Parts: sequence; C-alpha cells; structure tokens
Amino acid sequence: MTSISEVGGNRPPPRSWNWVGIVPFLVFSTAFLLGPAAILLVRSFQANEGGWTLLNYQQLTDPQVLEAYGLSVRISLVTAIIGGVFGFLMAWAVIYGGLPRPFRSLLTTFSGVASNFAGVPLAAAFIFTLGRIGLITALFGFFGVELYQSGFSLYNFWGLSVVYMFFQFPLMVLTITPALEGLKKEWKEASENLGATSWQYWRHVALPVLLPSILGTIILLFGNAFGAHATAYALTGGTLRLATILIGAQISGDVLQNQGLGYAVAMGMVVIMGVSIGIYTILQRRAERWLG
Amino acid sequence: MTVTAAPTAVETPAAVVTPAKAGTGSKVMAWLILLAGIAYFLTPLIATGERAFRAIGGTFSFEAFRRVVSDPEFLRTFGESAINAVLTIFVSLLVIVPTAYWVTLRVPKLRSVIEFITLLPFVIPAVVLVFGLIRMYSRPPLAILSTYGSTRVMLICAYAALSFPYMYRSVDNGLRAINVRTLTEAAQSLGAKWPTIIRRVIFPNLRVALLSGALLTFAIVIGELTIALYMGQHTFGPYMSNLVRNFVAEPAALTVLSFAMTWAAMGIISYLARRQPSSKPKKAV
Amino acid sequence: MSKEAHLKRKLILLLVFGLLVTACGGTAATTTAPATATTAGEAPATTAGGGTETTAAGAGGMEDLIAAAQAEGTLTTIALPRDWCNYGGVIDTFTEKYGLTYNGLAPDAGSADELEAIRANQGSTGPQAPDVVDIGLGFAEPAKEEGLLQPYMVSTWDSIPEDAKDPEGFWYGDYYGVLAFEVNADVVENVPQDWADLLNPEYNGAIALAGDPRVSAQAIAAVTAAGLANGGSLDDVAPGLEFFAQLAEAGNLVPVIAESGTVASGETPITIRWTYNALANRDANADIANIEVVVPASGRYAGVYVQGISAYAPQPNAAKLWMEFLYSDEGQNLWLDGYCHPIRYEDLVANNAVPQEKLDRLPDVEGAVFPTLEQIEAASEAITTQWDSVVGVNVGG
Repeated sequence: MTSISEVGGNRPPPRSWNWVGIVPFLVFSTAFLLGPAAILLVRSFQANEGGWTLLNYQQLTDPQVLEAYGLSVRISLVTAIIGGVFGFLMAWAVIYGGLPRPFRSLLTTFSGVASNFAGVPLAAAFIFTLGRIGLITALFGFFGVELYQSGFSLYNFWGLSVVYMFFQFPLMVLTITPALEGLKKEWKEASENLGATSWQYWRHVALPVLLPSILGTIILLFGNAFGAHATAYALTGGTLRLATILIGAQISGDVLQNQGLGYAVAMGMVVIMGVSIGIYTILQRRAERWLG
Repeated sequence: MTVTAAPTAVETPAAVVTPAKAGTGSKVMAWLILLAGIAYFLTPLIATGERAFRAIGGTFSFEAFRRVVSDPEFLRTFGESAINAVLTIFVSLLVIVPTAYWVTLRVPKLRSVIEFITLLPFVIPAVVLVFGLIRMYSRPPLAILSTYGSTRVMLICAYAALSFPYMYRSVDNGLRAINVRTLTEAAQSLGAKWPTIIRRVIFPNLRVALLSGALLTFAIVIGELTIALYMGQHTFGPYMSNLVRNFVAEPAALTVLSFAMTWAAMGIISYLARRQPSSKPKKAV
Repeated sequence: MSKEAHLKRKLILLLVFGLLVTACGGTAATTTAPATATTAGEAPATTAGGGTETTAAGAGGMEDLIAAAQAEGTLTTIALPRDWCNYGGVIDTFTEKYGLTYNGLAPDAGSADELEAIRANQGSTGPQAPDVVDIGLGFAEPAKEEGLLQPYMVSTWDSIPEDAKDPEGFWYGDYYGVLAFEVNADVVENVPQDWADLLNPEYNGAIALAGDPRVSAQAIAAVTAAGLANGGSLDDVAPGLEFFAQLAEAGNLVPVIAESGTVASGETPITIRWTYNALANRDANADIANIEVVVPASGRYAGVYVQGISAYAPQPNAAKLWMEFLYSDEGQNLWLDGYCHPIRYEDLVANNAVPQEKLDRLPDVEGAVFPTLEQIEAASEAITTQWDSVVGVNVGG
C-alpha cells in the first residue's frame, strides 16, 4: 500500500481552501437544523414573564434536573453498549457465521424496519408482551410464576432498557455491516496460514481494525437513546424522568410551565452530546493509532 | 492491485467474504445468537399480532385488519410517505457522501465538528425543530411555506437533516472499510477529477453502506409524526396516530400491517440496490 | 461509460422531477371535502384585509361574513380531535353547511403547542398556520397578553356567562365537563362510586391517571378534585396530593398514562377523565368493553376550555364564521351530543332549545365547582412542583 500521507499525486493541495468542500453540508445544516434550533439558545435565556435571565441555567443544578440527565445518560450508555455488543454479534452471525444466505438480507431488511419501530407502537407491543396482562406474563402465570407479584415490572429503568433494545440492536446491525463487510478476506487467510484460530484472528486482527467503526456506531446508539422520548413516554407515562421527558413537560405541556427552563435543559443535552463526542474522539484517536 | 478494494461481486457479498470454512464452533454460536435474536424480536410482534387478531369481539378474526385495509387513506398516506422517503434518501445521499468523503480525505481535523453537527438531530426536540422551521420560513424574505407542496419540500429537507446521524455513520463506516486515499490517488493518476471520483469510484464502493443508510432513512420518514403534524402534511405518521387515539382494535392491526408493508418496501429497496448494473470495472487492473 | 453516465443523469432528473412534483402538486388533502387548491394565498396575508371587525354585525351581517368566509375557502384548526366533545359532528356539519374545506392540524397538541403554532406562523399563509385555538383556561390570559389572539364577539355574546369570557372579547369559554371515573366494568366488578372507594384494596394495580400530573391539565384537575372530597378546597390542594400518595402507596395507582384504548382493553381499567371523554369512549368502544362512567358523589370539579381566534389567522373570516357556528344553538347542541356542557347551557335550557332526550343523557353534575383562573394557576403550581416529592412513584433503576 502506498503511504497514506500522500494525497492527490503530483498536485500540492491548496490547503487553505479545503474547508470549502464541506460548505454544502454547512449550508444545508444551517438552513434546516442549526437555524431552526437557534431558538433553543435564544429562549433558554428568557424568563416566563419576558426579559432575559440566567435563572434557567441556574436551575440546571437542581437535583431534579441533574437526576434527569443522569438517568438519560445511564440508559443511553447501557443500551448503547449492550445494544452494540449484541448487534455486532448478530451482524457477525449472518455475515461470517456460516448461516444460510437468506438470513443476511432478512436481517438487513428486518433491521431497517425495527430500527425505527419506536414510540407508542413499540411500547404497546411490549405491554402486550410483558405488561400486567401481557402474553409472556400470562404464560409465566400459567406455570405458576406471578411476575408482577415477585417485583418484576416493565415500567422501570430495566424494563425501558429492554424495550429500547428493539431499535438499538437493528441500528447496530445495519450500521456496522459495511465495516464488517469490509474486512479483507486476505487477512483471514493470512492469519489462518500463520496458524491463528478464528478467535485469535478476531481478537488481534479484525476487532482492532473494526474498533473505530464500532466506537462510532456506539456513539450513534448513545445519541439515539439519549434523544428518545416517545417510547419512554408511551411506556411509563412520564414517570421515568428522562431529560427528554422533562423538556417535553416544560415546553409542550398542557399547563403553563417554565419554557425557558425546558430550553435550558435542552441546551444542556447539547453540551452533554458535545462532551460525549469529545470522549469518543479521544478514544477514536487511540484506536486509530493502533492501526498505525 | 484492484481499483475497487471492497468486495465488489454483484451477488451477495457474503458469498465472497465468508471464509472457506466457518468452523462448527462458530456456526453453533451463530445459530444461538440468531435464535436469541429471533426470540427477542418476534415475541412482541406476535403479541401484537395476537391482539390484532382477537381484537374485535374476542375471537380470532381478520376484522381488525379488514377495517384498516378498507380505509383508502391507509394506502394513500403510506404512498405519500414512501415517496417522501425516497426523495429524502436522495437528498441525504447527495449531501452526506461528498461531505464524509471530503472529511476523511482532506479535512480530518474537522471530523469532530461534522460529527457533532450530524448528531444534533438527536438532541433537538422535534417540536422545537418544526416550529423553528416554520418560524424561519414564514417571514419574508424566506416566506416559502405558503402551499402544501412547498411545505412538503421543506418537510423532505428537514427529514434529510434528521437522517444525518444514520447516513453519516453508515457512510463513514463504509469509507473506513475501503482504502479511500489509495483509491483516490489511483483514480487521480488516471486523470479523474473530483466529481468523477465521487461518482464512479466512491459511490459504487459504498454500496452496502448506502443501503444501510437508505433503509434507516426510509424507516425514519415513514413513521415520522411530529414534524408532519405541525406542518399539516397528510402522511402515514399522522394517519396512524389518529387511528391509535381512539380504538383498541385498529392500532394492533395497524402496527402489524405497517410493519409488514415497511418490511416489504425495505425488501424492494434492498433488491434494487443489489440489482443495479455494476458500473465499476470488475477486473483487476 | 455512457451507460453509467446515463444512469446518473436519469437519477438526477428523477430527483429534480420528484422535488418539482412535490413542490408544485402536493397531494389531495383527503381529510377534507374535495380539495380545491390549498393555496390560501388568495386572501390577503394579514388580518388587515377584511379581518378587523370584531362582531358579525360590524362585519356587515351574517351574510357578508359567510360570503367572505367562502371566499377564503378553508378553515385551519389545531388540537381538535374528532372524538372530543363530538368535534367530529361539529366539523362535518359546519363544512357541509358552508362548503368550506376543513384542515385540522395536530389533534393531540397541547395548549402550549397551539400557542407556539400561532407564534411561529406569524406572517405565514400556509396550511400549517392555525386560524383558531381551543385552549385550557389557564392559557387564555397569557395568550391575550402576548398578542396572539384577536378579539371577536359572536352574536350570542350576551348569553355567555360573565366569568367565562374576556370582557374585550379576546377569549371566551366554549364548554365544560366534570371529572368522572371511567371504569371498565368487564374487568372491575364493583364500580367505585366516590373518591374514598378508590382506596379499596380490590383496585390494586387498576387505577391510572389520564395524563402526567406534572404536565396535563386533566390530571391536575383530578388531584384537585380528590382534594375537594378529602377536606381540601379549590385553594388548598394538599389533601389531593395526600390522597394520591395513599393510592400510590397502596399500589392502586400505576405509573401509566391511561387513555381510551387502555381502558377499553383492560390494561388500565379505572381512570379519571372529563365526563365527555369518558362517555365518548364508552360509546365508541361499546363492542369491545362495557365501560361505565360515574361522576363521584363528592369532589365534583368542572373544567372550562376556551376559544380564540389567532391574531395572525390566514383566514380570519372563516374563523369568525366558525365561532358564530360554535356559539349558535346548533353548534352548542352538537357539543352537547358529545356529552360536553356547552357554555351557553343555562341559556339554552331556559329557552327550551335542548331536546329532552339530550338532557337525559347528560350525567348529573350537581354541585360541581368551577375554579377561577387564579385557583387553577395556584393549583397547577403546587401540584406540578410537589407531585414528585409527595406522591413520587419510585421508578429508578
């Protein structure tokens, strides 16, 4: 392979103009994402009665708000990691696991649908399954095990996590597939020639190569869960106080609340997202360094 | 040394990449994983289906399904959403692929900034986005939201923005899997300019990544609710939500039907993606 | 090379074509009568054109109003579900009577979203800009103060009770209901008759509120009403919070939001909702479940909703016509069909404008109390801030 630092052959790249290439993206993002969302920033400094204030940001240190952030981050981490691991395994299984071929496209297309199966229908589906009068609950009851009496509940943190997996797994599957796909078969052959077992190949060759992509996809899953709102609301009726639900209550409620606070909380989420990307970028650089 | 480094066979890539012998140990594990996955995914769907079938009158019947399917609005709104989805995919691809390519190749320092922007849709509440869009484009000189049609275009652009996290990540993963610099160098040494490179070298090699991104985007658009609602668009999301508000019978049947239809649509997209005549040279150079 | 270039060209053409089609065509708005072009741009974009009159008489009489409305052609509303107070019937009768196209946005929107929609759509004439709003009483004054509403007094203005309208005509009460228990009698054997009954252990895991008390006016009202029955008053909601704390501790209250579907399916067999919602659900799901609606013997709490015309309504004459219709005997009776007590109820009854069988269908709401704006605000404040600490269902993981 040629040196990766050489670009463009003989022509020296006009350095200072490189950023022009992403102008279309910036324009589009500003027009349809950053522009409309600018109101978040502006309104977070406004008080209910009008006028400007920093009070909303001060309220971000309230235990209620901090707890909401903590809960959101926790559920996002948990579902991102578990979702990432099992999603990866599923993608591996259909690509390299020696399964019959149709399963590959079945999983792909199914993942497509399931990736956005969320909100009310998803919550309803799980209520039908594990709710108080759900199918599985009834099944357990048939065998004498009363799930809800013994402390199990769908309507708490772990119940919600289980529900979230329904769209986290498929998201991982679909997004990591291009990376898995791209593993050169020459590498596997070479490692086999050198006497490595399948496990060793994965541990020392494939996974390190895939690590940047895996990290990138996990942050995607993190963001996906972090911003999720409809499913949690549909399932727990807002009793599980995630940050997104807190925001919805302030901004869209049927009772006049403090909208400025809602926007401030949302800005806080933006910051958390930024920090997460920072952490992820550091991890990413480490991972890329291993690849040399 | 091939110009196209990624598995490029027109048939299912798995056939090319699977090592000659997937050991039995691997196979067993693969089956276990698959079965666990199937169990997890199918159970809620079966529970929903069960509810749909016995919804009316408590006995097994197709009544709930019949009620949903006999409403002409069901197909019409699905169709409108599907068209929106396809257009969104196009727009998203056009914006993201060149950008991801450029970031990887020319401005890697800006990567985190770009990634941050692409992840913003997750933390911007949908209501804030929709009202922000309406606000921005209701006043002169940008007052373009005056008809159903122009609002629909706005909707599609908003959806494209919403698809950024997924599209970008898929494309980025795809780009990492192919040696972008080498491909670019080789193409440039053959005299190709940037647009040609993107069109004839990058896009074809990103087939799998683009498919993933397209499927994810399609799913988002089909089910999207909040933005469509406040923009007064008569798409599938608002239709479903309207039905769900009121009756027990239809929602379960609606869920099953929309799941099935979306899955079919995914299958079509997937099939078309594989069938497209390969435009890149298949022979090693 | 050329084959592939052709493909690329085709794709671009397809994309451009697709965008053009969606931009120019739009699809038929099939939730309404045969759609004429939905460009409401024919009417002047602001309220300046023919929209400053504040009474029908001022606008040249009903006929002129009807003509002006029909020239505008469409009415855009927001947050009006068809099954709420029989809005479905109201809408159908209105559109048929006057031949206007009806465009209903976001049926599930909350009052805050309705006002946001007005704010955001300033200057817009498109189909996403609402003409009229139906909001909770607590939002009425803030909306007026912010300049989101324009004044209009319907011809039957005088028969609207004084304390249910703004003297300057910016907002006016439209209907009210009383909180009742909505019970799935197939699942629950002994239907509770009063608040105290709810504490009964037989209702373990059976009761759910129809909204989040930190957010939903209906749920907050439920808490206040419970308080009324337990020694509280419209100014003191602490007993209400106490009551729900007891319910939660006994395990009778579950942290799920109840709605029509969950009651009918038995998932949440008991909930507390406005009479009109409960009764409408009872009728709608009669073939699935046997639902009973019971107005509690004590602690009867009435809630008023309020109408207003957007200050930036793209179709102000259509909006005014709509108001005239809603407040006419015919409109008020249609609301009655939805089990809502129309605001002119007393007047209608006094003039024998209501058929007896409709009167009979209404539940007995004698003794219901109507909170004032201040009481609602105070109660909301107290309940939204104290719910977590007093009742707080612990769902942490």
